Amino acid sequence: MLTLFAAAQSRPVEARVEEAQVVGQLVRRCTQGDSAAWEELVQRFHRRIYNICYRFAGSADDAQDLTQEVFIKVYRTVGSFDGEKASFNTWVTTVTRNLLVDHFRKTRNDRATDSIDAAQGTDEDGPTLAERLPTDGSESPQIHMESRDRREMVHRALQQISPDLREAVILRDLQDMDYREIAQVLKVPEGTVKSRINRGRAELARLLQRTYRQAL
Amino acid sequence: MLGETKSGMHCAEFDVLLTEALDGALKGERRERFEAHRAECGACNTLFAEASSGLAWLEEMEEVAPPRNLVQSILAATSEAAQQAAKAEPKHSVWERLGRQTKMLFAPVMTPRFGMSMGMAFFSITLVLNMAQIRIKDLTPHNLSHTFYTSQNKVMKYYENMRLVYEIESRVRDLRNATEESEREREEKNRRRDKNNNQTQEQNQNSEPERRDHRGYSRGLGDGYGPADGLPAADAWQVLASLNGNEQQLWSLAMQRREI
Repeated sequence: MLTLFAAAQSRPVEARVEEAQVVGQLVRRCTQGDSAAWEELVQRFHRRIYNICYRFAGSADDAQDLTQEVFIKVYRTVGSFDGEKASFNTWVTTVTRNLLVDHFRKTRNDRATDSIDAAQGTDEDGPTLAERLPTDGSESPQIHMESRDRREMVHRALQQISPDLREAVILRDLQDMDYREIAQVLKVPEGTVKSRINRGRAELARLLQRTYRQAL
Repeated sequence: MLGETKSGMHCAEFDVLLTEALDGALKGERRERFEAHRAECGACNTLFAEASSGLAWLEEMEEVAPPRNLVQSILAATSEAAQQAAKAEPKHSVWERLGRQTKMLFAPVMTPRFGMSMGMAFFSITLVLNMAQIRIKDLTPHNLSHTFYTSQNKVMKYYENMRLVYEIESRVRDLRNATEESEREREEKNRRRDKNNNQTQEQNQNSEPERRDHRGYSRGLGDGYGPADGLPAADAWQVLASLNGNEQQLWSLAMQRREI
């Protein structure tokens, strides 16, 4: 299965540099009030921001609201972005992470009762069942459903690990950020980032093994 | 357990190298040391197994598709935020901004302590004005100028009177000096006369030893014409006669002061 990580790893350095230049120009145009540039930025980054929010918050509704909040904040503070300090990608991720931490603190009590076996999401705006079925015919519907269930279980397990470990794992394994960028976003040393990633992966594995044993 | 050194590698170092190992970036001698430590350290081996398993689970994850209307929602939300910001700006007129700036400027003094101090100062000033019988309505420009000129007039009169007093004192002093000088001359004259008389008497004693000269006993009979300080009465009356009513009062005051 093609993962984001693998896809990003295969991206050449030249392409990244070129993309950073394009984004830099878009940001400059945004600061001058160019609405077309802003729309282009939203088109480029909404999917990524939504995924971070979804993986961290766990709910599609929360993710949608949080994504909007992130872009409103970015829209208001894009003038303060300094391309020499960090890439726009890192800056947007930092804004997102700060907002998610605030959101987590506000909803801590509500989340305390959540369970890994909670019912699967029934988000109205999410992809429909038909959209979730494979379109290339490589997988049977049964295999596809099993795979989808496993992913959903991992997603639920991800919500159970501590926020410090979760954000490190999401940024590394789901958003393909390198350790230096993650250290910038989380404002911790790279060694701490690596340690958190290892412990996050290990904790996730323990949770999933326990769930599997209970299921069997 | 993490914190032990086995096969020349500390568990903390193993923890750091673990990510590189799982990324496939750990090669050569470092990989060998890593594997050797893993073989000897049970805790690190468990960590390796669990982290590998967790990574395998996570690699199955796919990017989720955002809601179809997300971009439109974001653009609507940001344009609404921009409109709100644009509306919020003109609300503050020049006067409102000036008022806010003034308020910020005086914020340090607009405190209960400052209010109490101002109240006490106002009360004190009112009390002083009442005691001095000064009414607020008298503090008009016209009344203030009238008060100023009246006070100036009083000061000028006082100054003139003082000048007269000192002038009189000076004249009295001159008269007394003149009197003392004439008295000294008279005494000197008397002394010389007495001396001549004595010489004559000595010459007469040689011829008439029983005769006595009694003229010395009458000396000083003419001294009773002036006051105790030596001012001749005639001169004093002459000075007084030359003064008018007001100046005579001052003269008497000057005399009293001299007696004191």
